[in-house]
Amino acid sequence: MAVGSASFSASANGSAAAAPVRAVFCKDVTKTYHTGTTQVMALRGVDLDIQQGELMMLVGPSGCGKTTLISVIAGILDRDSGECEVFGRDFSRLSAREKTRFRGQTVGFVFQQFNLLPALTAAQNVAVPLLINGASRSAAEKRAREILDRVGLGDRTTSLPSQLSGGQQQRVAIARSLVHDPRLIVCDEPTSALDHETGHVVMRLLKNVALGEGRTLVIVTHDARIFGFADRIARMDDGRIIQTTQNSPEARDAAMAPAH
Amino acid sequence: MNFVALRMLMGDRAKYMGIIFGITFASLLMTQQLGIFWGLMARTYGFLTDTRQPDIWVMDPKVQFIDDIKPLQDTMLYRVRGVEGVAWAVPLYKGLLKARLDNGNFQTCNVIGLDDGTLIGGPPQMVADSEGKIGALADLRRADSVIVDDVGAEGKLARPAPIDRATGKPIGKPTPLKIGDFMELNDHRAVVVGICHVSRTFQSQPVVYTTYTRATTFAPRERRLMSFVLVKASEGTDLSQLCKHIATSTGMAAYTTEEFRWVTFWYFMKYTGIPINFGIAVGLGFLVGTVIAGQTFYNFTLDNLKQFGALKAMGTGNIRLLGMIVLQALIVGMIGYGLGVGLASLFGTLSGKTELAFWLVWWIPAVTGAAVTIICIIASLLSIWKVMRLEPAIVFKG
Repeated sequence: MAVGSASFSASANGSAAAAPVRAVFCKDVTKTYHTGTTQVMALRGVDLDIQQGELMMLVGPSGCGKTTLISVIAGILDRDSGECEVFGRDFSRLSAREKTRFRGQTVGFVFQQFNLLPALTAAQNVAVPLLINGASRSAAEKRAREILDRVGLGDRTTSLPSQLSGGQQQRVAIARSLVHDPRLIVCDEPTSALDHETGHVVMRLLKNVALGEGRTLVIVTHDARIFGFADRIARMDDGRIIQTTQNSPEARDAAMAPAH
Repeated sequence: MNFVALRMLMGDRAKYMGIIFGITFASLLMTQQLGIFWGLMARTYGFLTDTRQPDIWVMDPKVQFIDDIKPLQDTMLYRVRGVEGVAWAVPLYKGLLKARLDNGNFQTCNVIGLDDGTLIGGPPQMVADSEGKIGALADLRRADSVIVDDVGAEGKLARPAPIDRATGKPIGKPTPLKIGDFMELNDHRAVVVGICHVSRTFQSQPVVYTTYTRATTFAPRERRLMSFVLVKASEGTDLSQLCKHIATSTGMAAYTTEEFRWVTFWYFMKYTGIPINFGIAVGLGFLVGTVIAGQTFYNFTLDNLKQFGALKAMGTGNIRLLGMIVLQALIVGMIGYGLGVGLASLFGTLSGKTELAFWLVWWIPAVTGAAVTIICIIASLLSIWKVMRLEPAIVFKG
């Protein structure tokens, strides 16, 4: 994969000059987990539509199916029935190899516990998606250092995860999710392991840096303090989306203001 | 991604060292035990290795190994000499006789009686005695002369140090037997005319060379005293055909040196517990190495399961993950193998001048290498199985 230089602008959200492109489309998606003789229906017919450049938050109580839905959207879990397309590609029609390659090129991940490789430096961790896509180590690490600079960690490129604070580690994880220029970024509870102020910084970073270049963000969260960053919020309960609300521009602006 | 695999492996120092320790231990134990086994087995036919001139050994058909002496009639020598294809044939005496030491103790010696005329079957190397004098094989033609091996001369046949009457302990070290010293062999006077170096024997008894006639004088009187007839084949004669010809003509057993070596080797393999004992040690080394390396490698994988899951989610295919695990196993296997064989070689070097038998021949590192490969395959298979079945969705579980 060629490592191109990406420019990061402020959120493209709202600059709807071009016709909206559908990033994620789910219709009547179901998923049931089988554990021995027990069956748990995690998704009971989910309908969801996310436009390119949109920041969508999936919220709801524990066990409502948020993580299952984000896993299906990211292509790391197969649904049982229904339709689900990401940028027009239906994972169920792709072979395992094609699905893996599509995921590697199209999706960026930000995890609740960061999931950085403890033996790799910040720059090496950020370079991993590029290495997965076949870039050379030197090119990947050069690009990784550029991205780390953009997330404010240009001086910590050689630090190991254990030498970084939680907030810094999450910023490294955000840089890792961006480095290969994916079109969709999925985040699982990106602020739940952080204090309020650090969580706020991380969200501003996601909004300002990650949501550029027409990227789409899907964030699963419990953290009501960050709801204001979303363009839309889908509330889930019992395996269904029960309500989708649009945040007002004022609410979004208020969220973007520095935390107190 | 190879770089990532190696950093993951070496990042967890404790487990990395644990896996290497397991493989090093297995590799060391297997190499060392096989080296001792092979060294010990080589001692069983050490006399055959040293006696290079004859092509064929003729003996009683009931003989099972080199030290299993069933004496022949002296006339057998002439019957063998009469067989077509025999260039020359000489008698050899081999027997255990008691030497009386200065302190009154007795020491059993392996006495070799060589053909008086040719001295064929003599020691492969003459060495200096404790005073730097070197004897010659031809000195055996002097009256009552014997040549003693260096290990025996410095060890079991050495003159004991005088005893301190007050403490009852020896004063100083024993004095090695040297050229010109006298010894008593089965109540017969013998003069040391040379010190030689021979391959160590299985029973580690001193080896004493003398002439055939003198050996039969030293030995207790028996009707038959000749142990073997050593035969050189005429040029161009097929050795196996000549062996058959000698056996048919004389009713005796005739083996080439190589065949007799294997007859001796298999006797010890079959009738002693040596292969079982060493086999158990080697098996234990393999088992312990597999358990330590396998368990630690598997634990390492379990600890990194989330990381493997994250890599899978981010687009790493199963084949590449498999390659990463195989690379990790290969690296620890190679390091552990190198350390183990290196330590075993060091052990062999350090124990070179002791009683310990250790012979590191080419096939031992090869066998150990194969065993280490199997250990690595077993160790990595568990991890591969776990990672291959891993759902990438694990990364979103708390």
